[in-house]
Amino acid sequence: MDSPARLGPAEIIGVLAQLGVATVLLGSIYALIAVGLTLIFGIMRVVNFAHGEFLMLGMYLAFWSFTLWSIDPWFMVVVAIPLFFLIGLLTYALVMRGIIHASHNVQIFTTVGLSIALQNLALVLWTGDYQVLRPWHAAVVVRIGSAAFNLSQVVAFAASMALTLALFAFMKWTAAGRVIRATAQDGEAATLMGIDTDRVYRVTFAIGIACVGAAGVLVSPLYAAYPTAGLQFVLLAYVVVVLGGLGDMVGALLGSLIVAGVEVVGSYFFGAAWKEVFYFVLFIAVLVFRPAGLFGQRGAEMLGA
Amino acid sequence: MRHRVVGVTASLLVLSVVVLLSGSQAQPLAGEYKIGVLEPLTGPLAGEGKRHLEGFEIVRDMINERGGVMGKRLVFAVGDAPDPTAAASEANRLITREGVKIITGTFSSTLCGAASEAAARHNVIYWETSCVDPRFSKRNLKTAFRTEIDATGFGWYNVEFIAKHLAPRLNLRPNQLKIAFLSEDSSYGQGVTESARQRAKQEFGMQEVGLEYYNFRTINDFTPVIVKFKQANPDVLHHVAYNNDAILFWRQAREQSFLFKALVHAGATGYGSPDFGKAHGADANGPFALLEPGPGFRIESLRPEGRKLEQEYREAVQKRTGSYPQGGHQLAGGGLWLLKLVLDRARTDDPETFRKTVLSLDLPVGSMINGWGVKFSEVGQNANERVQHYMLQWQDGRLVTVWPEEFTTLRAKWIPLPAWGQRK
Repeated sequence: MDSPARLGPAEIIGVLAQLGVATVLLGSIYALIAVGLTLIFGIMRVVNFAHGEFLMLGMYLAFWSFTLWSIDPWFMVVVAIPLFFLIGLLTYALVMRGIIHASHNVQIFTTVGLSIALQNLALVLWTGDYQVLRPWHAAVVVRIGSAAFNLSQVVAFAASMALTLALFAFMKWTAAGRVIRATAQDGEAATLMGIDTDRVYRVTFAIGIACVGAAGVLVSPLYAAYPTAGLQFVLLAYVVVVLGGLGDMVGALLGSLIVAGVEVVGSYFFGAAWKEVFYFVLFIAVLVFRPAGLFGQRGAEMLGA
Repeated sequence: MRHRVVGVTASLLVLSVVVLLSGSQAQPLAGEYKIGVLEPLTGPLAGEGKRHLEGFEIVRDMINERGGVMGKRLVFAVGDAPDPTAAASEANRLITREGVKIITGTFSSTLCGAASEAAARHNVIYWETSCVDPRFSKRNLKTAFRTEIDATGFGWYNVEFIAKHLAPRLNLRPNQLKIAFLSEDSSYGQGVTESARQRAKQEFGMQEVGLEYYNFRTINDFTPVIVKFKQANPDVLHHVAYNNDAILFWRQAREQSFLFKALVHAGATGYGSPDFGKAHGADANGPFALLEPGPGFRIESLRPEGRKLEQEYREAVQKRTGSYPQGGHQLAGGGLWLLKLVLDRARTDDPETFRKTVLSLDLPVGSMINGWGVKFSEVGQNANERVQHYMLQWQDGRLVTVWPEEFTTLRAKWIPLPAWGQRK
């Protein structure tokens, strides 16, 4: 379509309301995924290309627990957080620990390898069929004025806010958070101060994986689970992390809203085919003019490099 | 006398051994004929790829029960092609390591170009059974053939259905119909959509009120498209999709109460895939997908030879999968059976003789599995008008045949589509 039809004032308000709601809800899903990534990326300086596959595993966890035992994903998210924390600890011990001080090339190849291995493991275990779970809330449509949205989306939004703010509070106001931030600022100095950096990285990675596992469970009523479901989101999550500032929780949240806004508004006015052009141009512009991200501290991108 | 008998017997034995040895030199696989099968068995298209492979295997078994191809047992060397790069490299492997002279596959329009180019470089026959990319037949590759309709055929059929079946049931003339086009942006979606747009506008004067392309791998939200299309208020939505995007669009259209009178799709993915019905249950009711025949199909409408084949194939699929053949099974199965027909006539995989045999085939609609006929053009494309296609509709959790009416016992429902909650 060349351009949207001519609208009256009431219709314009209706359209803006719908696009605004879509931006906030979509942004919250991106934030949910990006929060774990920004933690790992920002603190450990590891580019985890397998992040999307942990999201996919979260989606399958929700699908199978719902299909086999009728467990609602809203309940399953409570199980997913500790479960994925343990999966994170295990992955760190088996894979990440060996590459944490290796070159970026080694880290990239290893995590890409992990990503492919997890995708194909899912394919072998659960086939390539698209699996959709339909809990009662996935069919509930909430309408406010002309804006309509799905109840599962609203809960994903609320959970995203809660998770992000909880992580922000944890990092800002707890002793463990201070230790993690200290390690992120200067790993060597932290070691000299008696901080067990290996432990910090282990816990950080596990928290990041717990977040993305929970995200997978929460988005499962909205998107189909299939072995490469994570790829759909992971590139976006990187854009969000760089935009928001490495390791910055609130930055990730705001970055997610910006990316979603660019996507929604760009798709409406210029067409859905243009959405990636817009947010990748924004991504490149941020890297060129403000490498630390829109909300990160200047120079943060160099820390730990 | 006794010496003469011994001598004649010994000569016959020597002759037999020589004949047998010369035979085994010509066919080192000793009674087997191997072809390469390339399908996306990993990656985002793996679900469909596996269904296609299953269709190939079922027809391979049917072929072997009937004496194989060229008198030899048909066997497969299978390659995984999740993306175009892998399709080309796996085609090379099948040719150079497995020694195949024929490759078939690949299901997807994103893969068939790369695979057929690789085969052509080795002067190996490439036999496409499913991809519909219009560019496939425009490269003048003498060794590449396609049994399935191309995207222009899909577009032609869809508009035929919209103009001649939907419009009268909506009490509208075709030129009164408002149509919006939504499509994923690979060569499959673009090929079908552009040919449908052209015919809709030029031949029937339909009013195009929307056009949107998107990337099916990255689309996460259709809200902006739906908001825009709601303002355009189309009667018919022509949506060409893969699986994830069809599932997502239908859910969001329902949430946003986007009401159109009919949705028409083409192909075994998206609305043509069983994944769509599994995802939406009873809410899937309504959309149309141009496909191979489904439940309701009047098998007696085929020619006797096609009827027998189709019946046997359905029973074989039923036995193996426990369900009615699905689009992927049928495309792969129909294509492989046609390959057997060519090989049995050509008695060789020499590309030139094979090509002459393919071009000489002339079978009317209704002669083959799926009701297909055969008449290849010089560019290696089976004639669109011989590859009979059918419109299926989601009715009560399954895709059933609803058009053309002479091929079905069922009737299209919900024209126009009622409100979202009233399609049961």
